[in-house]
Amino acid sequence: MIDQRIYEMFCDIGRDLYTANMISSHGGNLSVRLGDRVVIKRRGAMLGNLKPNDLIETRLEKNDSGVALASTELLAHRTIYKMTPALAIVHCHPRMAIAFSLSRDEIVPVDNEASYLLKKIPVVTEEFASGTPEMANKVATALQNYKIIMLRGHGSFATGQTLDEAFFWTSTLEEACQIAFYAKLLNEPFIEYRKMSESYNKF
Amino acid sequence: MPLVKLYANLRKLAGTKELPITGATIGAVVNELVKRNPPVGEVILENGKLRQYIVVTLNGHNTIDLETPVTEQDIVAIFPPIAGG
Amino acid sequence: MAGWSEKILDIDLNTQTYKTYPLDMEMAHLFIGGRGLGARLLWDMVGPEVDPLSPENVLIFTNGPLTGTGYQTSNRFSVTTKSPLTGTVLDANSGGFWGMQFKKAGYDVMIIRGKSEKPIWIEIKNDAITFHDASELWGMRVFALTQKLGQNNNKRNVLCIGPAGENLSRIAAIMNDRERALARGGPGAVMGSKNLKAIVIEGKDRPEIEDRERFKFMLYETRKLLAASPLTSQALPEFGTVVMMNIVNNIGALATRNHQQTQFEGAEAISGEELTEKYLVKNSSCWACPIGCTRISRTEKVEGEGPEFESTWAFGAQCGIDNLPTIIEANTLCNDLGLDTISTGSTIACAMELSEKGYMDSDLRFGRADQLAPVIEAMAYRQDVGSDLADGSLRLATKYGHPELSMSAKGLEMPAYDPRGMQGQGLLYATSNRGGCHMRGNMLGPEVLGLPKLIDRFQVQGKSSFVILHQNSNAAIDSLVLCKFTNLGVADEYFARVLSAVTGIQYSTGDMIKVGERVWNLERLYNLREGFTRKDDTLPPRLLNEAPTDGPSQGWVVQLEPMLKEYYRGRVWDENGVPTPKKLAELGLANLM
Repeated sequence: MIDQRIYEMFCDIGRDLYTANMISSHGGNLSVRLGDRVVIKRRGAMLGNLKPNDLIETRLEKNDSGVALASTELLAHRTIYKMTPALAIVHCHPRMAIAFSLSRDEIVPVDNEASYLLKKIPVVTEEFASGTPEMANKVATALQNYKIIMLRGHGSFATGQTLDEAFFWTSTLEEACQIAFYAKLLNEPFIEYRKMSESYNKF
Repeated sequence: MPLVKLYANLRKLAGTKELPITGATIGAVVNELVKRNPPVGEVILENGKLRQYIVVTLNGHNTIDLETPVTEQDIVAIFPPIAGG
Repeated sequence: MAGWSEKILDIDLNTQTYKTYPLDMEMAHLFIGGRGLGARLLWDMVGPEVDPLSPENVLIFTNGPLTGTGYQTSNRFSVTTKSPLTGTVLDANSGGFWGMQFKKAGYDVMIIRGKSEKPIWIEIKNDAITFHDASELWGMRVFALTQKLGQNNNKRNVLCIGPAGENLSRIAAIMNDRERALARGGPGAVMGSKNLKAIVIEGKDRPEIEDRERFKFMLYETRKLLAASPLTSQALPEFGTVVMMNIVNNIGALATRNHQQTQFEGAEAISGEELTEKYLVKNSSCWACPIGCTRISRTEKVEGEGPEFESTWAFGAQCGIDNLPTIIEANTLCNDLGLDTISTGSTIACAMELSEKGYMDSDLRFGRADQLAPVIEAMAYRQDVGSDLADGSLRLATKYGHPELSMSAKGLEMPAYDPRGMQGQGLLYATSNRGGCHMRGNMLGPEVLGLPKLIDRFQVQGKSSFVILHQNSNAAIDSLVLCKFTNLGVADEYFARVLSAVTGIQYSTGDMIKVGERVWNLERLYNLREGFTRKDDTLPPRLLNEAPTDGPSQGWVVQLEPMLKEYYRGRVWDENGVPTPKKLAELGLANLM
């Protein structure tokens, strides 16, 4: 039995992600950790339009939800919960961030908000960038030290104490990438307004 | 009329600890309060929305939904960012 | 040799001798310092057969690799011992300046063993350790003693006990820098049982930092973030912690009259707003702290540091007293006598209820502000009714046939937040390793203030995840050792980076939190070894069975059972709350069993 408030949180964040163009109709995933159990979106459900039976509850150790392949990314989520202090995970496909991930190993923001909050977003790569133990391990390892990371070409993984905290990092990252993109388009000399920003890539 | 109670530095800004404010929802009450007290608005609002860390309670229950309806006997309490041990 | 001094000072009071030896660096990497290192050493040194007030108990003072580096709030230090109040592992944590000096003296750890035949005080100037006769000083109160021994915040720092510790009150504190306290769980009594009156330190080392560039970067970012957070840059410096009084009362979570109610009609009169308006002289801060939450308050009778929220609550709402100047004076009196304010106030409240109900023959009554000072004095000297109260509320209530009226968990008096208004806080108190304590993982952030985000304080499902995370995180911060108020503006990931920069050892955020988890599990093992079981992970019957009849928390009792079940599973402990071999192996603790 999943508490109504938890279901509502999934719906709110799912809808916000979809309407912000950070996920396709059926992609991405959200999950939370409740003690030794995980609540996650069912494969094939729509984040922007979640119904009560779209949420699956399963044990952290192994999938005992009774639903085969509850989510392609269930393994990644469970691995993240086992390897990091995360209590909630937001995984989606923020477009500008993905575009940036194609050509660099870390995204270093130029805008103020992300400079305060994120500083550096590592980009990891995996050959089979969906559903494999290798990918799960790589993503979880990176999340041991960063709140949000990019999986090259695939999307973002963000952790937090609540879904809305993880969503906050996700939204901030996408905003940062869009601002950086506009700056690139403007193509004018950058006036550095931050002190010690040269150290951000060492964060 | 719903009663608004103010705390910490909001009191100095508003010149009072509490005052009755008309409004059908939390949002309406807050807007009316801010209209009467722009300095309070400076502290609690950003671009018309409640800033992070501002705690608003309705009869002691945290309320983040500004659409929440308010009735005559209700008490709306507003706390600026505060923390303790 | 960066971060750690890599040296232990081991003092034997029986023979008034000492030795120094290297700190086991493998142990240091796993437990870091402060609370973690203290717990690990206590595990080896003090077993279940040791009475906390016997010479076989030890006092282990620890600082951490960050202490004294100048990073924001890098002034804190710990003392670890077996608690004479609860019988659990005890770590008490204090700020001020003594910790910084302790680091400068060149040691990570100072162990005090045995018992001196006569009252003694110790003077430490790096390698020069001197034992002084304290016969003339025995009996002196904290303020006078601190001054007499030459307290100078930046150069020479005094740590001592007052009459309460000398008289082995089980709620006695160890005081440092005049009005900072290693307060909870009775460490003052342990020090008193050793006839140790004071430890005075002067140090001249400069703590080493491995990666100065990265450290500078973190220092700058932390300064920026603390300034950006209205909590640390405005609220705490302006109002101090007492600002919580109105907010906690407003939501119906302010324990009142020995937890008989959850709202206090006099909350406004003892609030931070009232304090700031009428009694505040100025704010102050500990070493290397830009926040400045300390109050300097003045009434007609006293001027001194504090009071903090908890102290004001303990003598205020908990005792049904709304006279703020008297509360301020009670706080100052506790500091001078060396008593834990939370336990003192809550024990008095317990006595008030026992007396009002006729179980105990005394004239103590709720609301009697005039009774505070005399009863506090009596407690420190074990005189008259004070002799009943000096050892805390559980022993008091048990003596008069009603142990259920002690508002404590594992014998440690709970603080202000009534868990019937905050479910997660109830789980926290019930599972805290040193007893009913909020500093082991305060749920105030998520359940009340919305830090990082607001969660429903009455929700039960999933609450244990937050409690576990906060417990682990706080244990890590207590091992660095930093002040948790820094955490209000700066996330854990910064601390991991500072730790890495100072020591040269790369700790990811997850590694650092894992240290906290390791410390938590070790403390749990310690308590299990002492004989604590699942049935001790509980709360007073009032909180489990008697719902408040009015206020916002009306109708709620703590839903402990489901939260506890989920908690044990979440921690990978068995259904009796014993860490599983798998979890112990994962944390590197398997070899301890």
